[in-house]
Amino acid sequence: MIQVSELTKRYGDTVAVDGLSFEVRPGRVTSFLGPNGAGKSTTMRTIVGLDAPTAGRVIVNGRRYDELYAPLFEVGVLLDAKGVHGGRTAFNHLWWLAQSNGIPRRRVGEVLDMVGLAGAADKRVRGFSLGMGQRLGIASALLGDPATLILDEPANGLDTEGIRWNRDLMKVLAHEGRTVFVSSHLMSEVQLAADHLIVIGRGRLIADTPMREFIERNSETVTVVRSARPTELRAVLEGCGARVDPDAEGRWRVSGVSASAIGDLAAHHGIGLHELTPAYSSLEDVYTRMTQPSVEYRAVPAPSPQEARTR
Amino acid sequence: MIETHTPLVPAMPRRHGFAQALRSEWTKVRTARATAWTPLVMAAIVPVIAVFVGVTTSIQPDDTILGGSLTGAPPAQMAAAIFGVLVITSEYSTGTIRSTLAARPQRTTVLAAKAVIVAGSTFVASFVASVIGYQIGDLLLSGEGYAQGDAMPALVGVAACFAATGVLGVAIGTILRRSAGAIVAVIGIVMLPSLFGPLFGDWQRWVAGASPAAALQKFTQTSDATPEVVGSLGPWPSLALLGASTVAVLAASIWLFKCRDA
Repeated sequence: MIQVSELTKRYGDTVAVDGLSFEVRPGRVTSFLGPNGAGKSTTMRTIVGLDAPTAGRVIVNGRRYDELYAPLFEVGVLLDAKGVHGGRTAFNHLWWLAQSNGIPRRRVGEVLDMVGLAGAADKRVRGFSLGMGQRLGIASALLGDPATLILDEPANGLDTEGIRWNRDLMKVLAHEGRTVFVSSHLMSEVQLAADHLIVIGRGRLIADTPMREFIERNSETVTVVRSARPTELRAVLEGCGARVDPDAEGRWRVSGVSASAIGDLAAHHGIGLHELTPAYSSLEDVYTRMTQPSVEYRAVPAPSPQEARTR
Repeated sequence: MIETHTPLVPAMPRRHGFAQALRSEWTKVRTARATAWTPLVMAAIVPVIAVFVGVTTSIQPDDTILGGSLTGAPPAQMAAAIFGVLVITSEYSTGTIRSTLAARPQRTTVLAAKAVIVAGSTFVASFVASVIGYQIGDLLLSGEGYAQGDAMPALVGVAACFAATGVLGVAIGTILRRSAGAIVAVIGIVMLPSLFGPLFGDWQRWVAGASPAAALQKFTQTSDATPEVVGSLGPWPSLALLGASTVAVLAASIWLFKCRDA
């Protein structure tokens, strides 16, 4: 359980996080979304005490992070794959981490097995691919068998098999009752893995909802309809104020009228329907639409040379 | 299905866990090349130069055997300072510092553990190196008419100077965070006062006398360490001065380490 309340973080004049509040609950995968520079990484760094909040507080498992004396048993963190000395072997990297929290040596071998790096245990991390580095980061997060996991872009650099493995892993961890908080840029991946979304833009909360609800509420409702008499159906629907567009497979995409109304209208006019499917936008579509204003707002046009001179 | 849960015996989170921090920092020093080799190089310099000095009898007529044998101590002292710097700056350059602090958010504990590891390893390594260097010098130079010099407890003082200099390196490295800058700064602190001391005329003894190198030279009883050059303060008070200033800089670095974002 992670509780962020009224969190603000400023770097000089730049406000990275601005009065952000949310809770991450156990038992589900919570995806943390936002455009680049929205404050995701800053928020995650603040949760684990690397950056001090300018205002507000962050509570992890009921305590401030710096009050945890063996944090690896409670919180596993993957901040970026680069938090590793390239000259150390994978085993030694995990071993000093384990020692700092009194975790037994055998556990290092176990987590290396879990992430599929057992064969590379004695290789220097410098020679690792991006994906192997990411697996090592996930191994270090799992070291203390923690109830809370904070993963910043864990799928970054993983290949198709790795992405699938990572997705399954997150689901299993959440299913075991752990708190899983993951940031990602891959919307298709989030759509498959996440149960809950926290979306931020320019350091502020945009949405904190179950994923299904996020999509359903913010989608334009479109119904895909297939009929043996498409032209007549179109005329009927347009007569009722619906918007009808063809899709790539020769079906109609109908908006402005609900699926049940379409069914009733067709029956009333004696037009047989072969398909009647309410379709939602993809997470990517909804997300892009939701975050567009906050992205645009960031791109402040530079003043013209004349304006700059008169200032 | 992925197996993630194997029951761990959770070590009871002890209140400070300083021993765990020490073990972890020791493993880090041991398993990265730069930090593993620097103390070994430091320890090798003293006996190697003692052999060179002994074989060529390249010491001043008024020098002691102890002073001549430990001719390599000042360059070795710089290696100790560099070692101290690298223990912390290598964490910043690789990003390891974020893993370190996520695993142990008590920052004073982290830095104190590093300082203890650096002090302990430089003390032991430089003590062994100086004893060996002195034995070599004694073997090659005795009977040549040089004064002997008092080895004990001076060699303990030599090792203490190394330890203090290593910790000074940790402190400067923590303040500056970058290897190159911190190494330049720490070498400057160790070397510059004796290099530029003569420019200060009568003040030389104060400028050069306050440097870490001066405390070391007083213990090695080299003929270079005349009161005009390094002041008339005895070796142990000089060491106390070095220790006190090191503690002060370390305290400042801990304060910065605690309030800066990692």
